[in-house]
Amino acid sequence: MLIPRRVKFRKQHHPGRSGAATGGTEVSFGEWGIQALSPAYVTNRQIESARIAMTRHIKRGGKVWINIYPDRPLTKKPAETRMGSGKGSPEWWVANVKPGRVLFELSGVSEEVAREALRLAIHKLPLKARIVRREGGE
Amino acid sequence: MSEQRLPAHVRTEFGKGSARQARRANMIPAVVYGHGADPIHVLLPAKATTLAVRTPNALLTLEIDGQDHLALVKDIQRNQLKRIVEHLDLLTVRRGEKVQVDVAIHVEGEPAADAVPNLESNTVLVEAEATHLPETLTVSIEGREVGQHVHASDIVLPQGVTLLVEADTLIVNLAAEEEQDLGETPETDADVEGTSEGATAADADADAVITDADEQ
Repeated sequence: MLIPRRVKFRKQHHPGRSGAATGGTEVSFGEWGIQALSPAYVTNRQIESARIAMTRHIKRGGKVWINIYPDRPLTKKPAETRMGSGKGSPEWWVANVKPGRVLFELSGVSEEVAREALRLAIHKLPLKARIVRREGGE
Repeated sequence: MSEQRLPAHVRTEFGKGSARQARRANMIPAVVYGHGADPIHVLLPAKATTLAVRTPNALLTLEIDGQDHLALVKDIQRNQLKRIVEHLDLLTVRRGEKVQVDVAIHVEGEPAADAVPNLESNTVLVEAEATHLPETLTVSIEGREVGQHVHASDIVLPQGVTLLVEADTLIVNLAAEEEQDLGETPETDADVEGTSEGATAADADADAVITDADEQ
């Protein structure tokens, strides 16, 4: 599972959710990709789950790229705790995904297999997404 | 490559306000430049232009004030969500002039059973006549074995097209199938501590994943 090896500060403010992605909006490495259509915090577990769903479906051949990284910690206070006494402890690692961002890329498989693999992966993600193809691809 | 003919109107108002107004009126703002001449800011019909620029390295003939201008699409700005064309950069060219463009690579054929083709370069830089630009360049990987490479020198170029990248530039790499991690491998003790159900970033903290710089 993706997790930063070392961070400078343990707790961060919540990442901003507004706006659209300004970079990473094109399929750059593979032939097919998943593009986010809504903002979301995607946890490292969800990324791993989507990757496994994809690689299980394509079985052999093919190459998968993960274009996002869960580098933002989110904190949570324990249950039944009174308010105050500081910020909670880090609970999840998330990638702050904005609409337009290409999350995963895939190549080396037929269109039919690619579409089904990406469809399965989208179901593991907490956002609306669509399947996109590299520009100039056939 | 066929030429696409588009009527163009010279823009008189500039800025994001007028650009948005033009887009609402189904027009696409564009700029035509090149050959040391002053740039011409124009408006193009949205539907016809969108269809025309679907072809890679499309050659357009613009009718500006009764004069024909031959132009190549240099850059396309698209809305990342709606995928509509928001602005075009067009480069003026002359008939017979040689231009440098990036052309997409198309891979065809089936490699040997255990070989997986990895496309290392999606495009290659070539020089060709502006009126005879190839849409794609094809490389064949038919029957290629693991460990073999397809270099730029292996690309079959149409007549009049010159390769501008090094001949040994890697285009396709035939690699062996990698063992895919399907998440079914038994977890080691160390893994269980960091990734089992209920494990949190706080647990990872105990493994010195996070430094306490903010609390020092």
